[in-house]
Amino acid sequence: MEFITAETVSVLIFFIGLYGLMTQKNIIKTIMSLSIMESGVYLFFITTNLSENSTPPIGEGDPALFADPVPQALMITAIVIGIGVTAIGLTMFVHYKQKYGITNWTRKVADPSRTSDDERSAP
Amino acid sequence: MLYLYVLAPILVGLLAYILRRNQSASFVLVLFQALDTLAVVGLFWQVRQTGTIVNNIGGWPDGMAITLYVDQLAAAMLLMTSILFLFFILFSYKQNYFTAQFFFLFMVLQGLLNGLFLTNDLFNIFVLLEVSTVTVSVLIMFNKEKQAIYDGMIYFFVNVIGSAFLLFGIGFIYKTFGLLDIRAIGQSMELVENSRAVIIPYALMFTTLSLKTAVMPLFSWLPKAHGTPSAPPVVSAFLSGLYIKIGVYLSIRFSDMFGSAIDMQNFFFVLGFFTSVIGFVLALSQKDIKLILAYHTVSQVGLIIVALNMDSEIAFWGGVYHIFNHALFKSALFLTAGLIYNVYGTRNVYEIRGVMRKMPLVGVATLFAILGITGAPFFNGSLSKYMIAHGTNSPVVAAMLNLINLGTITSFVKYSTMLFGRDTGKEANLDRYSQWSALGLGIMSLLTGVFGRQTIRLLFDYSLTVSQAEYFQKGVVYFVMIAAAVLLYRGPVKNSKLLNKAGAIEFTFNGTITAVALYLVGLLGCLLITV
Repeated sequence: MEFITAETVSVLIFFIGLYGLMTQKNIIKTIMSLSIMESGVYLFFITTNLSENSTPPIGEGDPALFADPVPQALMITAIVIGIGVTAIGLTMFVHYKQKYGITNWTRKVADPSRTSDDERSAP
Repeated sequence: MLYLYVLAPILVGLLAYILRRNQSASFVLVLFQALDTLAVVGLFWQVRQTGTIVNNIGGWPDGMAITLYVDQLAAAMLLMTSILFLFFILFSYKQNYFTAQFFFLFMVLQGLLNGLFLTNDLFNIFVLLEVSTVTVSVLIMFNKEKQAIYDGMIYFFVNVIGSAFLLFGIGFIYKTFGLLDIRAIGQSMELVENSRAVIIPYALMFTTLSLKTAVMPLFSWLPKAHGTPSAPPVVSAFLSGLYIKIGVYLSIRFSDMFGSAIDMQNFFFVLGFFTSVIGFVLALSQKDIKLILAYHTVSQVGLIIVALNMDSEIAFWGGVYHIFNHALFKSALFLTAGLIYNVYGTRNVYEIRGVMRKMPLVGVATLFAILGITGAPFFNGSLSKYMIAHGTNSPVVAAMLNLINLGTITSFVKYSTMLFGRDTGKEANLDRYSQWSALGLGIMSLLTGVFGRQTIRLLFDYSLTVSQAEYFQKGVVYFVMIAAAVLLYRGPVKNSKLLNKAGAIEFTFNGTITAVALYLVGLLGCLLITV
């Protein structure tokens, strides 16, 4: 039995992302870990019940060979949601960083000299 | 035509957004809420008369594509949503945060909530949860204050990560069954020979739901989100009154779906009990009125989970009725807390005194809601707690329920100290709409208690027989409990250093996520042992 299948790889990617979320205090790294975790799920979905010689379900072809289109349609939606979530997360982060100079979950100001500059330049 | 219940609030919100903030926009919103309540009552009646309604979107055969599905439970939830939204819109009608951005997002949330109660498709649930998380977190940080942004970010990331578990679980379900429709999966579940084949999706999906319902190790995001100081009171009321019920509702549906293969009632029963105890202990340790209420939501949701997993019909319906009641009185409490904060300028429960004298309407609303939540005779809480207590014969479980109730009463003795005494606030200048809508919710929690049996029969088609003698006895027990609670509060609780320390414990973001991961592992372990 082959060990490196899409399923095991996707589970591995999912838990690598989860590990990042558990350990990283930096908010940017949290967003990155979230994306990694989600890509594990995407990979899992599009490779479920996929047989070796199946064809894309578009245009002319043998319907018996068509790959299941449902997971692919679902994942298009999930990817779009994932992009939206990443964008909103980044927006929140940028807003928080610019206003208060904080880049991590422990709420310590990252670089004191830099933030005091920010405060001075702020109106 | 069920999709209109999802679509109409969003479209009306958009229309009001185009009209911007002026009289016509507010008028459109109030009118819509009134019509929506009527429409939902109509739908409810139809469900009562003809039974469940299934609506296949796109005309595919049943079980193939997205279906919207209303049964008695879903119809009752829709009714709860529309009634509360009517009160919410009336409450915020004249408030200064009632801007175009605010009410657009708020109306979108109503549509999403209706969608979550109606939909029968797993992927649809994921999408709706994700979109509502985004909307809620924007509303939490609506005032762009430092603490609010931090709380909103914690809420956002924790819940988005939680939804990723749900999506992964749905992937495993799809791999096994090739279906996404909850009822169709429930039917196919009976064909599963080895229940161990579905424990992984079960663990993944219930990790998300436990996060959404904030059970024991996973509740640390909830007080932050629900008790954010600068969030508009109506948002806190929405989160604690309605939104938290999504998790409970979905866990009823999902337990049903997995019903023939996996039964984890004992696990969730014990977990619900501990959640409830921890919730009121932490509520006792808080000074901030919004945080007291937020931790109290943890405790009450724990009680609901206990009731739903008791394996008895009367306790189940008691739990469902408690969902409904909790929506009423917890919303009333959060709305009045917002008004009190506006007048007194502080949220410290020890500094607020004499609410009753200064704002009689608000004071009465708070008092009614407190009587409801503690289960005073004639109020709705007493009835749902009576039903829950009837679900068991074991004295241990009865003692556990009494312990939860004693904790509830003690923390509300503390909360109600601010109603009395000499007045400390500045001049009160409140608008009528807010006061009356908060009072309306308070009065409703009295009415649904006095006419409780009729309400239960109407809502859930379950006829309850209340023995007069026993109900009277419960009333006596209630007053004994109040006396005990006052003593407890005066004595050990007020001066406890340990409690103060417990209140100061704060989970970090990474700690919360680690708790989620550990919870998943723990749940899988329990499943491996029991299944």
